Amino acid sequence: MIIMHGVTKRFRRIAAVDNVSMTLDAGDSVALWGPNGAGKSTLIRCLLGLHRHKGVITVNGHNARSHGKRARASIGYVPQEIGFYDDLVVGEAIRHFGRLRGIRRTDIDGTLERVGLPGQLAKRVRDLSGGMKQRLALAIALLGDPPILVLDEVTASLDACGREEFMSFLGQLSGAGRTMLFASHRIDEIAALAKRVAVMESGRLTAVMDVASFASSHGVGSFVHLAIPERTRPRAMCVLSEGGFEPRLNGVGIIVPVRTDQKAAPIALLARASITVDDFEIISRATADAHAPIHGPT
Amino acid sequence: MQTTVSLTSPLSRPPHTLVTVAWIGVRELKDAIGTRWFTLYTLAFAALGLGVSFVSASGSGGSGLSGFGRTSAGLINLVLLVVPLMALSAGAASIASDRERGMLAYLLAQPVTPVELLLGKFVGLAVALLACILLGLGLCAMVVGFKGGALNASSIAWLAGLSFLLALGMLGTGMLISVVTRRASVATGTAVFIWLVLVFGTDLALMAGTLTFRLRIEELFALSLINPLQVFKMWSLHAIDSTLDVLGPAALYAVEEHGESLHAIFGLCLSAWILAPLTLACVLFSRKGVS
Amino acid sequence: MSRQTENLKQTTTRLACAVGVGAVLLGLVGPWASAHTQPNEHEAPAPRVSRGDAESVRQSTGEIGRRIARASPGDTLIISAGIYREHLRIDKPLIIIADGRVVIDGGGSGDIVEITSPDVTLRGFVIRNTGIDLDKENAAIRVTSPRAIIEHNTLEDILFGIDLREAPDSRVAFNHIGGKRLDTARRGDGLRLWRSDRSVVEGNTIHDGRDAILWYSKGIVVRDNTGYDCRYGLHLMFSDDVTITGNEFSRNSVGIYLMYSTGVEIVGNRLLRNRGPSGYGIGLKETDQFSVRDNLIVGNRSGVYIDGSPFTDKRPGEFTRNTIAYNDIGFTFLPSARGNELTENNFIDNIDQVAVAGRGSLEANRFWKGERGNFWSDYTGYDQNGDGIGDFIHESQTLFENMMDKEPKLRLFLFSPAQQAIEFVGRAVPAVRPEAKFIDEVPLMAPAPLLNNVSEASVSAGVAALGLAMSGAGAAIVIGGRGVCPFISLLTLARERRAARRPVGALP
Repeated sequence: MIIMHGVTKRFRRIAAVDNVSMTLDAGDSVALWGPNGAGKSTLIRCLLGLHRHKGVITVNGHNARSHGKRARASIGYVPQEIGFYDDLVVGEAIRHFGRLRGIRRTDIDGTLERVGLPGQLAKRVRDLSGGMKQRLALAIALLGDPPILVLDEVTASLDACGREEFMSFLGQLSGAGRTMLFASHRIDEIAALAKRVAVMESGRLTAVMDVASFASSHGVGSFVHLAIPERTRPRAMCVLSEGGFEPRLNGVGIIVPVRTDQKAAPIALLARASITVDDFEIISRATADAHAPIHGPT
Repeated sequence: MQTTVSLTSPLSRPPHTLVTVAWIGVRELKDAIGTRWFTLYTLAFAALGLGVSFVSASGSGGSGLSGFGRTSAGLINLVLLVVPLMALSAGAASIASDRERGMLAYLLAQPVTPVELLLGKFVGLAVALLACILLGLGLCAMVVGFKGGALNASSIAWLAGLSFLLALGMLGTGMLISVVTRRASVATGTAVFIWLVLVFGTDLALMAGTLTFRLRIEELFALSLINPLQVFKMWSLHAIDSTLDVLGPAALYAVEEHGESLHAIFGLCLSAWILAPLTLACVLFSRKGVS
Repeated sequence: MSRQTENLKQTTTRLACAVGVGAVLLGLVGPWASAHTQPNEHEAPAPRVSRGDAESVRQSTGEIGRRIARASPGDTLIISAGIYREHLRIDKPLIIIADGRVVIDGGGSGDIVEITSPDVTLRGFVIRNTGIDLDKENAAIRVTSPRAIIEHNTLEDILFGIDLREAPDSRVAFNHIGGKRLDTARRGDGLRLWRSDRSVVEGNTIHDGRDAILWYSKGIVVRDNTGYDCRYGLHLMFSDDVTITGNEFSRNSVGIYLMYSTGVEIVGNRLLRNRGPSGYGIGLKETDQFSVRDNLIVGNRSGVYIDGSPFTDKRPGEFTRNTIAYNDIGFTFLPSARGNELTENNFIDNIDQVAVAGRGSLEANRFWKGERGNFWSDYTGYDQNGDGIGDFIHESQTLFENMMDKEPKLRLFLFSPAQQAIEFVGRAVPAVRPEAKFIDEVPLMAPAPLLNNVSEASVSAGVAALGLAMSGAGAAIVIGGRGVCPFISLLTLARERRAARRPVGALP
């Protein structure tokens, strides 16, 4: 379904994507995993024909660059955050993108129901919450039922609650014979949705493995998600890094990977530095397991 | 409310380019009409035009004499000022603001080529500009008609048509600016700068050149064809009552020398101003992509 | 009656007039067109039943000439309808009158009628087809004796029309003179008077000729003539005491051009759209003791052009109650023009109301007299005490006009924002502000009433309707952008039909 061969994209002298080759068969579900700046989003943009790149990408038999329109017709795309037509009414937005996909009469009600946004079609896009916006984006991506779904850090800008909900929809979608490629740095998402994991580092594809071996090799026990007021976040990051953790910022707080027997350590560390922790949440492998079974190796 | 079962077509066949362009155009048109700039420019254009028409109608003392006069001159002047500014800024905002909002990548991730997106926006904005011109000049025509002014119907039709051509040229130029600049504010700034150059800069420079280098009339005429605003002005004068010779020796030379082919010459110049920037914008945009 | 119904009535009347004018035009053009579509009379001399005068159409050569030869002085000859191919020489005082359509055809060579005797009357003929020898000045009618009366003749396809050489006290009236459609340089004069004092030129129509010209002729009256598509509508050379009234000269290179003449009255004429390379409505070169009153001067390159006039200071040049509108330049003064007085004229929307060519000044000319100024459409003052005279003086001082007067090439930048920028600078920066070109201390607030209105004006219903339609279309776009949606959908539908259908993808 998707064939990438020697894909390289340079911005000036820096190779954002460096000689990536990968093949996704129909029904495959591959997670792009790696730290920020590893080239996941750039690779996805190359796939969508948004960047000039070296190498060849074929989507459903169409070259992503030279026949981008054909290629993209097979792809439903959900970005990290949609920023379009704020003044538009939801129904009209859906109809517009439906038209661009050549769907003459879009079933707006049905589409919205499918993503859990029934009766919202008269609302302005501006007035939707983050999670609802992402579900709208998903609804648009599913218009016309494309065989490929491409997701780029789709939950990165959502809060915990929104992410839970959104994941549950995605969970339903995978395995319907649809090919999925998504970028994420959340192990729970990967575990829930992916069959295989492609690990990226500084633009290179360092490993492609099935999700089970990925889970074991990256078997950090759990993540602690800390809700910390925005102004103290930078200092908290410093404190945690100095304390031997590898903290990561996300939209609403800090995520710290921890060993299973040290879940309280980051909070204690911050308390000693007099940084207020408003709330915390433990995300363990067990939680991820609860959502969906881990697929066996393919 | 639509509750029909969705009819989905096989996705390996995205819509024809023309259809895509049309839908993007419709969207852009609706968007443009909703925006503040469109309302403001339309109001300003109409208000100024009405002012010009009223003032010049009362200036003729209701004598009912007809001929080329201050009404036409005032309207041409107004078009020269407002239409390029409007079209340039609309064009400049089109792509750059989408890029800034992160919407461009999303749009181009749909089965839409960059050229389709660009042309669609061009068409939509062009129709919005057409609406603005029709409204503005239409109101002027009503005033001129009721007050017995100095313009006949065909002059107004010519003026509207040529204003639209000028608007297309400036819109294309604006979109070219939009494609090559990264930020919306820079694009708008560049558009205003280009506007200043076209409206004042080139003419003043050419005037200075005429006085200092003693340009010959044929050189002066040829040089004046570079500026689309001058071309619009000369074409309007030539078309309205064929009084291009109002513009003195250089224009008289043009009429004597080129006569009938003047329409073609002016048409070519304006077409070049429409096609060249738009083509360049298309090429650059599809090569450059989102980044 | 309410105002609205009155307006409506007015509009209806205008429409009715327009229809009437259209009908008249058709009536005029119709015969012309049919005359051209009919077979040429030369080739088909046989009686044609379709024509009312078919039986009387006959051909002859030399018949009129023979009758003239037989006639005694003072006789009246009635010539019956027909086509006569001959060249006439009228050498005794005769009254020769056409009965019906009498065509005298010169066959494309030489002059056609030559009048060498005094007191000849020639009335009602169609005289056509002279030679085209400009050196020999081939003319339709040449008069070399006094007191000729040339009336109601139609001159077609001629090089020179009526040429009066030393034929004083003659009368040229109600003739229609249409020249050959040659290059301007190869045309002859439609009407020429040479040393023919006290003659009257009245009600003639002259077109497609070179000039209508008076040479060394005193006391001529030129009245109610029409001239169009000529070089000079009327040209005076060294002709004194001429009265020019009620004429209309349009689309000529120059309307009326006076040179070296004294005592000329130009009253109530219409000078429209004379736009040749010089393109004056009225041009005055070294003319003296003249009066220009009540003329309508519209759409010329320069409404009035004054060079060295008045020539002496015996009498100021008088320009009163003229309407000068929509000319590129209203009045052009050459530096040599001094001693003119302009009062009660209407200056309406001339691009340049008054211009001084070169580096001259207008000091020696006056733009008001006593309490009588002129109406200026660009006057910006107001009249608070309601006496009809503006409370502020009108002074014309724009930097760009000033520049244009000095460097005419700069006219190319007229109507551009750059022009306005320059004028703004001229107003804002005293250092570059030009001196006032002229001053009218008592500008009129309203134009003096027009004596003769222009027919081409006041079409307004159509313009208003167009305006309504345009605004409507604009509004329709604004309101109903979605109107096009179904149309685009149709295009998609066609493709859908062709494409294979696929069931809606169900959710897992």
